Amino acid sequence: MTRRTYLAVAASAGLLATGLFATSLVGARADEPVAPQPPVRSALPLLNGIPQHGAALGRPDAPVTLVEFADLQCPYCAAWAGGAFADVVRDYVRPGKARIVFSGLAFIGPDSERGLRFAFAAGRQGKLWQTVHLIYASQGAENAGWMTDDFLREIGGSIQGLDAERALRESDSPAIDRQIASAKASATRLGVRGTPAFAAGRIGGPLRPLAVTSLEASALRPALDSLLAR
Amino acid sequence: MSDRRLRVAVGAIAAVGAGIAAYLTYTHFAHEAIVCATGGCETVQSSKYAELAGIPVALLGLAAYVFVLGTAFFRGELARAAGAVTAVAGVLFGVYLLVVQLAVIGALCQWCLASDLVLDALAVACILRLNPDWVCGLPGRPAFGRRSTFGEKTEGDHPWPPIPRT
Repeated sequence: MTRRTYLAVAASAGLLATGLFATSLVGARADEPVAPQPPVRSALPLLNGIPQHGAALGRPDAPVTLVEFADLQCPYCAAWAGGAFADVVRDYVRPGKARIVFSGLAFIGPDSERGLRFAFAAGRQGKLWQTVHLIYASQGAENAGWMTDDFLREIGGSIQGLDAERALRESDSPAIDRQIASAKASATRLGVRGTPAFAAGRIGGPLRPLAVTSLEASALRPALDSLLAR
Repeated sequence: MSDRRLRVAVGAIAAVGAGIAAYLTYTHFAHEAIVCATGGCETVQSSKYAELAGIPVALLGLAAYVFVLGTAFFRGELARAAGAVTAVAGVLFGVYLLVVQLAVIGALCQWCLASDLVLDALAVACILRLNPDWVCGLPGRPAFGRRSTFGEKTEGDHPWPPIPRT
């Protein structure tokens, strides 16, 4: 091959790469996000008036239980919380058809665990779901040390009715240790390998893992409707 | 280095790259957590730079690696040039993504860095493949026997007879 061939290869590679840069930059500037983003809908008004007991959101006698396995540092969990969660709450939880149980995991790292402990502790005051959603809304880079006590105080302070100092004190209690261990054991038993993951079952019946292929509420509807129809 | 060895090298390096890209593609579609020592993989993978016109960059990378792997099965000039164009463009795009990770996203993905290194090696191998075939013969004089890559020992195709032992 000649020098001309080398030049042709270099020019073609340069053109191809330029096309890739341009497409990437145009895509990144597009208004429509193509990847999960932090919650865009405020979840706090959405939760108003819905009973919370520990990690469960919804009426305790709801016929169906939906368990959500999530890590507070997982961007996909934040995307689900900011999107489809509202639809599930509106159509299933608020009407009393289902309740959602937050089964928090901390596999991404130390920031996940600090946030999870605080969220479970907030759950002892009936404010787990507000805490979880506000943490998702301010989600930082993985294990960058963003889940500080000050950050959690700020989150807790913005939730009406939550004693953030008490939640921080209780974060390291044996009861929270047991709750985290229980969630982890439940995830292991159900074969959870990533987050967000879901399992559902009728009250008093066994939980079955749900094969969810998208972060849309429509991915959960068939399973929930089927359980409700029994 | 002979073209045969270079083709094996291109194939092997592209296969490693395809493995990395396949893993990232799988985690993208399965929404699974990425095994990550640098701590920024999820952030990078969920950023808007992780897709190109709606197609995951990991999937494009997988397609590119498989394409270059395919070129290793052909000896022709077109295959060599196509492999080199793809690999060099991949290196350039990898540099762009590295800058984006450092300057825009503020997180590093170890798998992307590994893929960058693999791409560098792949581009070197593909460029080496562009080297002309060296013919064991004088310019303008047809080679005796088959065309040979420079340095490759090909018994019996030397244009001159062996020096007789004395």
